[in-house]
Amino acid sequence: MRRFIHCMFSLIFIINLTVISSTLEASSEAEMMNGAYQSTYNPDPSPKILIKNGTLLTGTGVLLEKSSVLIENNRIVSVGSDIDETGATVIDAEGKWITPGIIDIHSHMGVYPAPSLRSNSDGNEATSPTTPDVWAEHSVWTQDPQYTLALKGGITTFHVLPGSANLIGGRGVTLKNIRSVTVQGMKFPNAPHSLKMACGENPKRVYGNRNTEPSTRMGNVAGYRKSWIKAKAYQKRLEEYESKSEEAKELEYAPSRDLELETLVGVLKGEILIQNHCYRGEEMAIMLDIAKEFGYKVTTFHHAIEAYKVADILAEQGVCSAMWADWWGFKHEAYDMVWENVAIVDQAVNATGCAIVHSDSAVGIQHLNQEASKALAAGRRSGLDIDKARAIQWITLNAAKGLGIEDRVGSLEAGKMADVVIWSSDPFSVYSTVEKVFIDGHIKYENETVEEFERTDFDLGIIDPEGDRL
Amino acid sequence: MSHLKLISFVCLIFLSSNLLADNHSVILIKNATIITASDQGTLENTDLLIEDGIIKEIGKNLKTNDGPEIDATGKFITPGLIAPHTTLGLQEIELEAATRDDSTDHYSAGFSIAKAFNPASSLIPYNRAGGITSAIVTPSSASGIFSGMASAFKINGALMTEPIIEDIALIMNLGGNKDSRASTIMSLEDSFEVARRFSMKRSSIMRGDDFDFGDYSIRDLEAIQRLLKQEIPLVVRANRVSDLLRMIEIANQYEIRIIFAGAKEAWRIADSIAEESIPVIIDPMDNIPSSFDSIAARLDNAAILEDSGVKVLISSQSDHNSYLSRQGAGNAVTYGLSKEAAIKALTIHVAETFGIADQIGSIEAGKDADIVIWDNDPLEVSSFTTKVLIDGENMSLMTRSKRLRDRYLEKLGLN
Repeated sequence: MRRFIHCMFSLIFIINLTVISSTLEASSEAEMMNGAYQSTYNPDPSPKILIKNGTLLTGTGVLLEKSSVLIENNRIVSVGSDIDETGATVIDAEGKWITPGIIDIHSHMGVYPAPSLRSNSDGNEATSPTTPDVWAEHSVWTQDPQYTLALKGGITTFHVLPGSANLIGGRGVTLKNIRSVTVQGMKFPNAPHSLKMACGENPKRVYGNRNTEPSTRMGNVAGYRKSWIKAKAYQKRLEEYESKSEEAKELEYAPSRDLELETLVGVLKGEILIQNHCYRGEEMAIMLDIAKEFGYKVTTFHHAIEAYKVADILAEQGVCSAMWADWWGFKHEAYDMVWENVAIVDQAVNATGCAIVHSDSAVGIQHLNQEASKALAAGRRSGLDIDKARAIQWITLNAAKGLGIEDRVGSLEAGKMADVVIWSSDPFSVYSTVEKVFIDGHIKYENETVEEFERTDFDLGIIDPEGDRL
Repeated sequence: MSHLKLISFVCLIFLSSNLLADNHSVILIKNATIITASDQGTLENTDLLIEDGIIKEIGKNLKTNDGPEIDATGKFITPGLIAPHTTLGLQEIELEAATRDDSTDHYSAGFSIAKAFNPASSLIPYNRAGGITSAIVTPSSASGIFSGMASAFKINGALMTEPIIEDIALIMNLGGNKDSRASTIMSLEDSFEVARRFSMKRSSIMRGDDFDFGDYSIRDLEAIQRLLKQEIPLVVRANRVSDLLRMIEIANQYEIRIIFAGAKEAWRIADSIAEESIPVIIDPMDNIPSSFDSIAARLDNAAILEDSGVKVLISSQSDHNSYLSRQGAGNAVTYGLSKEAAIKALTIHVAETFGIADQIGSIEAGKDADIVIWDNDPLEVSSFTTKVLIDGENMSLMTRSKRLRDRYLEKLGLN
């Protein structure tokens, strides 16, 4: 039996090595895990719908007046003017604004659901500072009422991360904002996993209070490096074993699976994207050096209160920052907030920076457009030349880039998933509300027929047994 | 009196008095859209004359030869915003206990935060730049069921800041906790009883007679007695509709004035709250059913309350960003609150609720010239202040945020 397992393992490994594309990461790992934990989300083909006469913020940096989006079979078919209406249901969006589905790269919905109870607080495996073996998706409660609130704010895709108690907190998962009893039914098909890492105060406070390592920022850094050294050694063992002839493999055990190190090796191979909670400028620079030492990439710094201080380094190294518009002061590392953080990151090094506006909040996720609006207004007040067509990317295309799904969502472009939001007016206004949300071409929320939209189980009969919560 | 003391005394009088001829000041703001938060409503293309820190006149074609004119064409003016529930001046960094003065384990109802208020707090410039000119500075927690007493302050940053009114309201929490809420209500009733007995026997107790103080100090009992005499209201931080109803009963039974804060489920009994004339402090954006106390939270709470005739006050959940109450007000409008009520919820409703409306809260002749000029619709998230006046004095809008911004814009070559 053991021989058989070894044989299976090595076969799987050979298959692994033949897979090149990072978007196929899920399938290589999936085979190692017998196809378990994969997305089962498979929307029915959607009808042909033309949304016309709207003001489009395409997410590609363009604003199109009096323009249309044609969607069919779960995809965006075409974007522009003079689109043939034949056979399409037409929605006249005169006076309305149309954007790609809004994407929040930093959410804890499902792992810190509402109502907040000890028994459903599942976001931090704060029992060890290094837990790359845990996966946020294994905590997700699919009936969190916060999802439907976010849907009304235009959120079509969101990334659920473990908390920041740990240096290495575990894998994050990208979900589509659709109702499903299973988390597999919400998973964004073939989206790469992420790995949550955390700098600064949180890990050192949580473990320092227990008189265990880490209790300082230098302890934090030692912790990351020790983990990556182990990961490198494991990766080497795997590669050495794999490089042996079949005869030689027969004569020895294959390296045994290690849940922690599998995740870290996934990062070293570029298949799992680092989402790094980090506030201070100098800490971000240190984290980039750790990535350099071990040969991996930091995809996005999260919260990044001081990203503006290192905006040039971030732009040059192609690292995104996911930020709030104005949160500050809840801890020391959040003290040097500037209202222009997002705009400065965006404009750094000849406007090559990657700026993302995130929520980390079940309230904020409902109004991510307003957060982007505040950040844009601050940038303009300080003389930075940024328009709405670009700023919408902070909550659409750039967020998709930070999640490695920019080839499928984040903009209104032919071939992409038909995730589209119709707004009552300019989404950079506080008075703008979401009128319709399409996910993969299907209407998932419509303000006119609010009674019909699909609520979570929690919402049913909870206030009044006869009625729904909202 | 030593020379030094005498000199400083004279200087203080000189600086603080508006009556001295040298300090006579006049400012005329021209052509603004003035949202008065008074019966006058919103006035287009209107001028505002400020004299010696007081609003002198509101009208068309006002003239002065005495002082500067500010052209506010295309701009909006509101009264200075008043944060109805904040720890401004009581903290620097939330997670650093040594920077916080909003809680105590030693006192209960008598805990007066006025003694800790720091007009030089680093939070104040951000909030003043964001349009806040006064704050109801509120304790977070104290020993027992009470959290202590709030005081009202202007946030002009003057080191000699005195409260507008000290100990303006008593604060308590009611809701899901380790202890039953029944116990909270019983403790509240018991505290009333102890305060009443203390009050009757006060002079003999002060002479040394025995008295069972229970968990309270003299300060605590005096604060509770002020509540019972209707000198100050009780701010009840509660969300669950049954808790709100229970407190209405208590308020009627003991004839005390109450104010609800939080009140996420208040919309369900909006008519009852209106009937009892209880003001309600809410964060309109907080529609999360974050506990079983707030399952019915929703975005149109403010609108439903207004429709029933409830006086709504709008607060921000983040004390560092108390000025974001303005975004909450904008969202409340999006979900049905009238624009007029939204501005009032940030200004005059707060002043009326805490008994300082004779001085601040609206743009009316005779009131303090606490004025904010906005570059656009003050409820819009993309708008911002262009001028903030407190007592007619032009406030600096500089913040650490702007200093840091300018430093790094230059370093990055983006300036």
